[in-house]
Amino acid sequence: MSLDYRLLVFLMELASSAISFVVGYYALKAYKTTGAKGLLLLYMGFLVLGIGTFLRVLTATYASVILRAYPTIEHLSLTGLVNLAAFVYTITQLIAYGLFTATYILQATSPAKITRANAETAAISSAAAAPLIVKLFFIPSLELVAITLLGFVTIYTFTNWLLKRQTAAALVFLGFGLMLLSHIFFLLIILEEVSLLFLVLGQTTQLAGFMCLITMLAKVSRTNA
Amino acid sequence: MPREHKEYRSKAHIYSDILGSLLKHGGKSGPTRILYGANLSYDRLMKHLNQLIELGLIQEEKENNESIFKLTDKGRNFILEFAKVEKFAEAFGITI
Repeated sequence: MSLDYRLLVFLMELASSAISFVVGYYALKAYKTTGAKGLLLLYMGFLVLGIGTFLRVLTATYASVILRAYPTIEHLSLTGLVNLAAFVYTITQLIAYGLFTATYILQATSPAKITRANAETAAISSAAAAPLIVKLFFIPSLELVAITLLGFVTIYTFTNWLLKRQTAAALVFLGFGLMLLSHIFFLLIILEEVSLLFLVLGQTTQLAGFMCLITMLAKVSRTNA
Repeated sequence: MPREHKEYRSKAHIYSDILGSLLKHGGKSGPTRILYGANLSYDRLMKHLNQLIELGLIQEEKENNESIFKLTDKGRNFILEFAKVEKFAEAFGITI
């Protein structure tokens, strides 16, 4: 069960990362055509977001593989790596959201306590460590900053949709809105009993947000002059 | 707040308007027709037309001692690409 949800989460994150790179590439192409600085910031934002998510997928996969191969391993040895990855991931996300916010501003103007698994519980230690890794990957205070930045971007894209009334604008608003919702779910991971539920909900809404953006891109690509 | 009305046109937008005006006239037109279509002064239009020739987006030909500007394949591709880029930027609420 535990491995299944981890695989699902990793696949969802991998897909989110790939979509982020695709949207970023299109923003770069658009910037090269028009020279609009907002598009450059958008490109940089999606690039940073894609890199951060991809790095997290790599680190989480590595940690899971190690835990599976060596169930008796001291979890402490992985904590440093996971903490670093979590910090880098969160910072890249904040940079990306900061860049998105800058796009629109320009446009308008504790590590958990870990104990060593003993021999009897070695068989289940990997699964038990999974929620711990999940929780370490999210830093609540920084999630609040992400929510604030994404809140601004979501309001802006909502206003843009209200003015334009276009499907593509609605998809962008939905995309950022769902990303905002995913961070609210990630913040709720601090609740012990339901942390896994919120992780899966967060990853699902995040992927749904990216799916909205890729749908928008597909729609825009079919535009005729 | 997103700006609904553009205060000025970027160079890419002006290029797109000029090329779009040419396309509307069958891909071939004299400067006067383009001038009205692109909403530019004569001096500015000639400056931009020269830049478009340098970029290979249009070609200049002489017909009865008058300059005629023709849209190239590269120019047609630019119009299509710009339309997509414009939609993309609009979706994000970015003015180009």
